[in-house]
Amino acid sequence: MIQRHPGPRRPALVATEGLRAEPPVQKRPVEIPRPSFHDMTSRLSAIERAPVFFTFPEDALRAIARRVRRVRIPAGEMVICQGEVGDTIFFIERGRCRLVIEKPPSIVTVAVLAEGDFFGEAACVLGRSQQASVYAQTECYLLAIDRQSLHAVMAGRESDGMDDLRRLAEQRFSLFADISVQATWGQLLQEATVIGVYSPKGGSGGTCISLNLVGALSRRFPGEVLLLDLDFPYSHSALLAGLVPTSCLARTASVPQESFEDVLLSTVLYDSGGPMILPGALRPEEADEVTPELVNKAIAALRKTFRYIVVDLGVTITDSTLALFDLTQHVVLIAAPELSAVKSAADAVDILRQLGTPHDRLTVVLNHRSEKPAVSKSAVERALKRDVDLEIEFDGTRPEQAAVDGAILSITNPKSAIAQGAEALAALLDGKHARPRVAADSASVPGGAEHAVQPS
Amino acid sequence: MAAIQRARDGVRRAAVRRRLEAVASGKADTASSTFDEPGVDVAGVIEELTLGLKPDSLPLERLVVALTNSGAVDRMVEGLEAKSAHHRAAGARAIGALLIYEAVPSVAPLLAARERQVSDAAARALGRIGGAHSAGALLFALQRRGISRRLVAELARGAPDLFIEVALAQPQKPGARPALALAAGLRRRHTATSQLTALVRGGSRRERVISCRALGWIGATTAIPVITEALNDREWKLRVSAAKALGALRARDSRHEIRYLLADRNPRVRAAARQALRQIEAGASVQGGVR
Repeated sequence: MIQRHPGPRRPALVATEGLRAEPPVQKRPVEIPRPSFHDMTSRLSAIERAPVFFTFPEDALRAIARRVRRVRIPAGEMVICQGEVGDTIFFIERGRCRLVIEKPPSIVTVAVLAEGDFFGEAACVLGRSQQASVYAQTECYLLAIDRQSLHAVMAGRESDGMDDLRRLAEQRFSLFADISVQATWGQLLQEATVIGVYSPKGGSGGTCISLNLVGALSRRFPGEVLLLDLDFPYSHSALLAGLVPTSCLARTASVPQESFEDVLLSTVLYDSGGPMILPGALRPEEADEVTPELVNKAIAALRKTFRYIVVDLGVTITDSTLALFDLTQHVVLIAAPELSAVKSAADAVDILRQLGTPHDRLTVVLNHRSEKPAVSKSAVERALKRDVDLEIEFDGTRPEQAAVDGAILSITNPKSAIAQGAEALAALLDGKHARPRVAADSASVPGGAEHAVQPS
Repeated sequence: MAAIQRARDGVRRAAVRRRLEAVASGKADTASSTFDEPGVDVAGVIEELTLGLKPDSLPLERLVVALTNSGAVDRMVEGLEAKSAHHRAAGARAIGALLIYEAVPSVAPLLAARERQVSDAAARALGRIGGAHSAGALLFALQRRGISRRLVAELARGAPDLFIEVALAQPQKPGARPALALAAGLRRRHTATSQLTALVRGGSRRERVISCRALGWIGATTAIPVITEALNDREWKLRVSAAKALGALRARDSRHEIRYLLADRNPRVRAAARQALRQIEAGASVQGGVR
């Protein structure tokens, strides 16, 4: 076994003090800047709280505090990208950061770190590529110390700190790897992708788009797409599709566990065009029965049966809605080009960001409800502080007429603006969440109209 | 005579190399008077030996300890002040090869040297050593000199995480930001995407041109809409840059906009558009094959 060199380590140059004592060169424009007293106190308090680092000797902590760079990261920005090389440990001085591991089509948050914690240690001390992407969940102030500075501080010091740091890095690496494997179970088990459709302002066309999205998806995957209607207190998806519901999710709350799945599936309504609909509640007072626990249980059961579950989340944010946000792989936000709707959408984008919805897992749809919109697309984008992903043109009275007829436009009239918008949205979602095809799947080919009316 | 001298130098060089190899492998622990061998480019030998060694590897550590104990490292640092440009460059190269981070403040002033070989050797040394202080010195030199290929390449190599991104977001002298954008592109880190996208939207002409290319190198597919908008810009260099970036990104959805550039009045734009379309089609056929 190779032993570490026992001799004196870099005696003349390793310690910065040594370098200062015998200056070999007169000009030194790159002196290490000395932080102010208050700055130093703030840095030290962040580093001292960090796991493992609190065991470091005080002089080492001070040396680290002197060498760190303070970095401000706006909310939602990426700090580290998964798979890239890295050389820096980031201490969180202020704010919260989310660590996510992406294994398409799954994405899983493996940790949310706050003040006093750190990340990036596996790349810095183990030399591995970044295991997870890190996003700033709120505005963050980070203290960054690079590998070279850390080695310069720790070289020649009698401390087990670096070994402890390596152990911690290994331990976290294994933990995150385990969590990310669990995240792919859904994919391995061929479980459904849950898509939440949320419209923060009533009358923006959320239910209409949900219904047509389900229609467009079920043209690709007949019999494998479900619409769960949680637009409380009045759930009208079944009515708009011309179906007569006899039961709902709320009425399964009291069903025993052993028969829950069977009862739930028997509640699902079948449309002749392919989509299936599960009403949340038939009467307004039943909405209270739909608790987060029931939603979790229902989604867990339904994911085994369907390929896509589209959830119409309605307008209000309740406990059930929040539970659904945690379960969704994608959120579609519907905004209408009206002042109040845009303001509500901007607030909703902000809330979703705070809830930890990744930027690329949120799709903003601008639904034109009138021929001449009062607010332009660019104004909407400015208000939302992000791009509109999809625009649905004004479709005249077709949606209202379809509701009266009990028809789903994306199935009955694919050339209408609503149907085309729903088709584009379905293509976008399927592009992001398509799962590998297996032999049994080969019968249902995604895409064109030629596969549109295959019965399930 | 010259041939004999060359042969002698070769023999001495081989002897130095053997001594240093013995130290690196742990068979010897002293390297006395190694650095003073006349007629031998010891810095070159050290560079050869340390090529590919990781910063915390045992052979490198052994070399550093042996050379430090023998006083060679101190002489290297002193050599950075020598009158001879050759000596200064050799010192910088050796320090860079040995990754002596503590010598960064001594190497940094050489970036301002008049002799090209010295400033290049210093830049290489700092890029190889890396870390915040090396990157700070390189950035300082870039702010003073503007775009310099060597400085940009070494900054891209040596800058720690988020160093360039933070510098891009801060106020900079006019020449420095394009250089930083270039360095960000060369590093190919997705973390720079938002800063580069902002530059494409609102930077100077040069910044926009370079940022477009940098986004293409990074593979920032989220920036495709912004780059596609740049295809319609009045500045032909930006149109060329945007077309090249979209080609590199295999942006299939932008094919229609790129096709418009096939009729552009500038031949370079037309050539870039053709090349981009070829790349996109090639990418599409590869994807089709995989499916």
